[in-house]
Amino acid sequence: MKKKLWNPIFGGTMIGLAMILTFYISGRGLGASGSITSFAVWVQNLIAPTYTKSSEYFSPYVANGANPLTDYMVFMAIGIMIGSFAAGIISKSFKFEILKGPNISNKGRLIYALIGGILIGFAARMARGCTSGQALVGGAELSVGSWAFMFSIFAGGFAVAYFIRREWL
Amino acid sequence: MGPLVNNGIISGGINSLAAVLIGALFGYALQRSGFTDPRKIAATFYMKDVDVPIVMFTAIVTASIGLFGLSLLGLIDLGKFYFLPSYLLPMIVAGFIFGIGMAVGGLCPGTSIAAMVTGKIDAMVFVIGIFLGTLIFGDFYPQWDKFYNSDSNGVYRLDQLFNINIGLMVLLVVLFAVFGSLGMKKLQSLFWGKHV
Repeated sequence: MKKKLWNPIFGGTMIGLAMILTFYISGRGLGASGSITSFAVWVQNLIAPTYTKSSEYFSPYVANGANPLTDYMVFMAIGIMIGSFAAGIISKSFKFEILKGPNISNKGRLIYALIGGILIGFAARMARGCTSGQALVGGAELSVGSWAFMFSIFAGGFAVAYFIRREWL
Repeated sequence: MGPLVNNGIISGGINSLAAVLIGALFGYALQRSGFTDPRKIAATFYMKDVDVPIVMFTAIVTASIGLFGLSLLGLIDLGKFYFLPSYLLPMIVAGFIFGIGMAVGGLCPGTSIAAMVTGKIDAMVFVIGIFLGTLIFGDFYPQWDKFYNSDSNGVYRLDQLFNINIGLMVLLVVLFAVFGSLGMKKLQSLFWGKHV
């Protein structure tokens, strides 16, 4: 039997506390997409080092022989994985499975997951952060751009929800 | 006085260790709040389950009170704090694309990293998608670098936008979060009934 989920107010308070800790200790906020960027640069630099070092966007990550994986956000992502894995085990929800709505095939769900991931990978770079590093952290910092980003996320989601309702409902 | 690493109170190594520990708390909270389930996240966009925005609002409000409260108590030096800069138009456009991706994929970067390690195969595919989307952005950067750097407002906060005191602004955000959450709950039960 899976454990009951946390109350959303409690869950939000815990995430808020994690944010306060990063503010106080590190002078910055939480983040998630930054780690995937570092990882992507690291992989591309293994395969095509000259190309990566000449890239205007990616070259700062590998300048002067720097390793993109020794980044604050990479350490944080390792933590996210440890914490979520532990929570998955404790709550008995660790399982190899595909989560989807009742009216879509596994293949269909995975195609949607890939498309959604590509859009989000692109948009997170365009926005200089994702739901964690831009919406939550910037939201707490009262950043106008972050609040605009967050409202825009909901606008985009509501705009397409009807057309993809077969995936979820 | 914080931020500890900026004031030289802790070393870079301890700071990295802190990142792992704080990340673990974050990941644990994401999983236990149900954020590793794309059905729960996507349900937001049908107003069928509004826990996701409620968790987000609660986290923002908690952290905002914490940040500006610590500053008021003299425990954190905001002069050494890294505030995110606003690039309004690119952020609005990116948010819209991001929202489409979130409804289509049912996840976002943090939640997919968290879901991936609990065995969710759709989340693993989603992370591969983020990886590819990131490379598309970076490798074709000259196509959108002008737009990316446009409408730059520097550090631009809501209290500056509305020209009010920062404490009052935090209070307004708290009120917005509380009434926003209650309003969304109301809409949820209006559309889907009390027990979904």
